[in-house]
Amino acid sequence: MNTQLFALAIFDGVAYAALVFLVAVGLTLIFGVLQILNVAHGSFYAIGAYATASLGGMVFAAGFSPYLAFPLMLIVAVLVGIALGGLIEQFLLKRIYVKEGALQLLVTFAVFMILEDVQRLVWGVQPYFESSALQALGNIKVLGITYTVYQLIVLPCIALAVLICLRLFLRRTLSGKLILAVTEDREAATSIGIDADRVYLLTFIVGAALAAFGGALASATTSVVPGMGADMIVLSFAVVATAGLGQIEGAALTALLIGLGRSFAVYLMPELQVLVPYLIMLLVLLVRPQGLFGIAQARKI
Amino acid sequence: MLEFRDVTVFLGGVRILRNVNFHVNQADTVAMIGPNGAGKTTALRSVMGFTRMTGEILFDGRELSTIAPARRPGLGIGYAHEDRRLFSAFTVEENIVMPGQVAKFSAAELAHKLGRVYEILPELREMARRPAGSVSGGQGKMVALGRALMIGSRLIMLDEPFQGLAPALARRYSEALRALRDQDREVTLIITESNPKLLRKFADRALVLERGEVREGSLSDGKDAA
Repeated sequence: MNTQLFALAIFDGVAYAALVFLVAVGLTLIFGVLQILNVAHGSFYAIGAYATASLGGMVFAAGFSPYLAFPLMLIVAVLVGIALGGLIEQFLLKRIYVKEGALQLLVTFAVFMILEDVQRLVWGVQPYFESSALQALGNIKVLGITYTVYQLIVLPCIALAVLICLRLFLRRTLSGKLILAVTEDREAATSIGIDADRVYLLTFIVGAALAAFGGALASATTSVVPGMGADMIVLSFAVVATAGLGQIEGAALTALLIGLGRSFAVYLMPELQVLVPYLIMLLVLLVRPQGLFGIAQARKI
Repeated sequence: MLEFRDVTVFLGGVRILRNVNFHVNQADTVAMIGPNGAGKTTALRSVMGFTRMTGEILFDGRELSTIAPARRPGLGIGYAHEDRRLFSAFTVEENIVMPGQVAKFSAAELAHKLGRVYEILPELREMARRPAGSVSGGQGKMVALGRALMIGSRLIMLDEPFQGLAPALARRYSEALRALRDQDREVTLIITESNPKLLRKFADRALVLERGEVREGSLSDGKDAA
C-alpha cells in the first residue's frame, strides 16, 4: 500500500466516520437517557436524506444558490426531529417506558418497518441524487490527492462541532443538566421538581434530529436509495455497542475506528468491507463486554 | 397542613401502609419513628407521588393526587432521600441550586436561598466546587439537606438523616436542624428515624409507624422505640 492509497483510505474513513458519528451519537444519547434502543433511528437518517435531496432538488431547480443546501439541511433535521421524533415519543414510546426491553425493541423495530414503507410511498424506489452542496465547495489537493472539501473538511468539522456543542449543552445549559440528572436518577430528579417526561421528549427530539442531520449531510455524497436506513442503523449500533452504550465521546472515537477500519478494508481486502465493522465490534465485546468506554453499571452520559 | 386520609399502599403485592390517617400542623417538627420496614419511607414517597396508593393526601388543603409528582416540589416541599441521591455529574453547589433553577427562581432569589443554606450548613460552602460524587456519605447527607432546604419553604421531609452518620457528623447535623428551626419557625419538618432518642430534644411530636399502621407516640420515655 503506497502513501497515496494510505492517505486516501484515511480520508475516506474520516469522512465516513463523521456521518456515522452523527447517527450513532443520537442513538447513544437516546439509549443513555431513555434506556431504549431505538431501531427507528435509521429511519430518521433516511428520511433526513430523502427530504434534503428532494427539497434541495426543487430549490436548486428554481435557480437558488447551492449554498442554501446547508440551512436546508438544518431545517430538515429540526423538522424531522420535532415532527417525527416528537410524535413517536409522545404517542408510542411514552406508553412503553415501563415495559421490558424486548418489547421496546420490537415497537421501535415496527416503527422502523412502517417508516420504510412510508418512504417508498412518498419518494418511490428510484434513487435521488442531489450533490449541489458537495460541488459548490469544490475540491482540495492534499498529499497529491484531490478530494472534496465537503467530505474532507466540512463533514469532520461538523461532527466535531456537534460533539463539542452536545457536551456543552449537557454540561452548561439548564436543559442539558436536567437531562443528565434524569439519566442518573429519575426519581431523585422528580423529587426536585424535574419533569422527566419532558426531558425524555426533549432528548428523543435531539437524538432524532441528529440522525436526520446525518442523513441530510450524507445525501450530498451518495445517492439516496431504499434500505439506506437499515444499513446505517446496523452500523451505528455497532459503533454504539463497541463504544459502550450511552458514551458520547466514546461514540466519536469508535466511529472513527470503525470508519477507518472499513475504509482500509475497501483498499486492502474489499471482500471484507462489510464485515470489518462487526469484526471490530466482536473483538472488542469479547474482551470488554461493556464496550471500549463503557462503565459496567453506572448510568451516565 | 399535611393530612393522610385512609392511605393504603401496596408494593409488589405486599401492603406497606394500611389505612393510615394522621395530620401534621403547620410549623410542627414531627418525628416519624418505627422499625425498619415499617413504612416510613413509603409514607414520605407517597407525599412525593412515587407510590401507587389509595386514599388521599392533602397538602395545604389540596389533594395531592391531582398534582403531578414533578410539580409537588414547587409547592414548597423539600425531600431528602435516605440514600442521598445526589447527582454525581455536578458539583455540590450545582446540586443544591438545581431545585431552585427548576422552579425558575429569579437570580436574586436563588442567591438569597443559597446564602440561607450556607448559613445553616457552612461546611457546604467549603465543598461547593467539589463534584458531588466525591463527597463522603455523611457529607452527602448534608448536601441532600441543603438541596431540600433550597425548595422546601413549606415542608421539609428528611428520611433517616442520621442513618450511618459518624457521631461527630450526627451532632453537626442536629445542630444544623436546630439552626434551621431557629431561622424559620414556620416551616414544617418531618423526620423519620428508627431510634427516637436521637430526636427527643428536637421534635415536638412523634408519630409511630408499625406494621403499616400509624399511632400517636411520645418521645419522652423512648418506650415507643420498637
